[in-house]
Amino acid sequence: MPAAWPEKDDPELLAQVQEGNGQAFAILVERHTERFYRLAYRYLQNKAAAEDVVQDAFLKLWENPAIWQPERNSKFTTWFYRVVVNLCLDLRKKKGAVVLDNTMELIDNRESVDESIMRTQEQRMLENEIAALPERQRAALNLCFDEGLSNQEAAEIMGVNLKALQSLIMRAKTTLKERIKAYL
Amino acid sequence: MNDNRDEKLDNLLRSRRVEPASPDLAQRIILKARQLPQTKTMPLWQSVRELFGEFHLPKPVYVLAGSLVFGIVIGFSAPQDTGPAADDGGASVQSFLSADEALL
Repeated sequence: MPAAWPEKDDPELLAQVQEGNGQAFAILVERHTERFYRLAYRYLQNKAAAEDVVQDAFLKLWENPAIWQPERNSKFTTWFYRVVVNLCLDLRKKKGAVVLDNTMELIDNRESVDESIMRTQEQRMLENEIAALPERQRAALNLCFDEGLSNQEAAEIMGVNLKALQSLIMRAKTTLKERIKAYL
Repeated sequence: MNDNRDEKLDNLLRSRRVEPASPDLAQRIILKARQLPQTKTMPLWQSVRELFGEFHLPKPVYVLAGSLVFGIVIGFSAPQDTGPAADDGGASVQSFLSADEALL
């Protein structure tokens, strides 16, 4: 018995998308939108911009499904992370420095107001410093601390070997430790 | 001390918050895609295959047999070239030739 639509794996769905199947595309979008949004948000620190990037990436795939070549790309998510990262970089180049989202109010109900303000400040400081890192260090950090991505996968997405990735992370962390030492 | 700072930095990096996406983001993408036509850019070999596919005969034996029968019917229904018109042509050529000889 053939697998039901939601049970189909990514390569099967992509083959259907290449045949013009909208249902397969819808399942793919529903399955992966959240994780690619998170990555885009970490890059852009802006909800609307991150949503636009994820939308553009999926629409590119829909309009020209031949850009996915299973024989050349190991895994859909690895390849698509690269697509999203490239779109984020393009947007940053076009629009210049990242504008932190004003709606990013991070107050947790369980914390006292003072604690919340301090945590918000800490996070704002951290985001600003991450945004000031060199491009590749920032990419390494974003990919590795994103849930569910192993260092090996992150290295594949960035097109570097594992050692190079670890070195990028180490340099990024050294810089961050120095710049936000008041908060550590 | 240094380990402590490393750990705290790791915790901070892990707890980076992400503002949740709009709940309808996936649906918005799907709806937008429905309005866009797909463009198929295929490799050369695939387009050649598709071209040949256009000439694909679903049941070649029936098509061949049908063409043969059609050819035979057309062949039998066409007038044969053995009527008096053909003979007239031959006679006029002969009279022309004999007229030439008379001149000599």
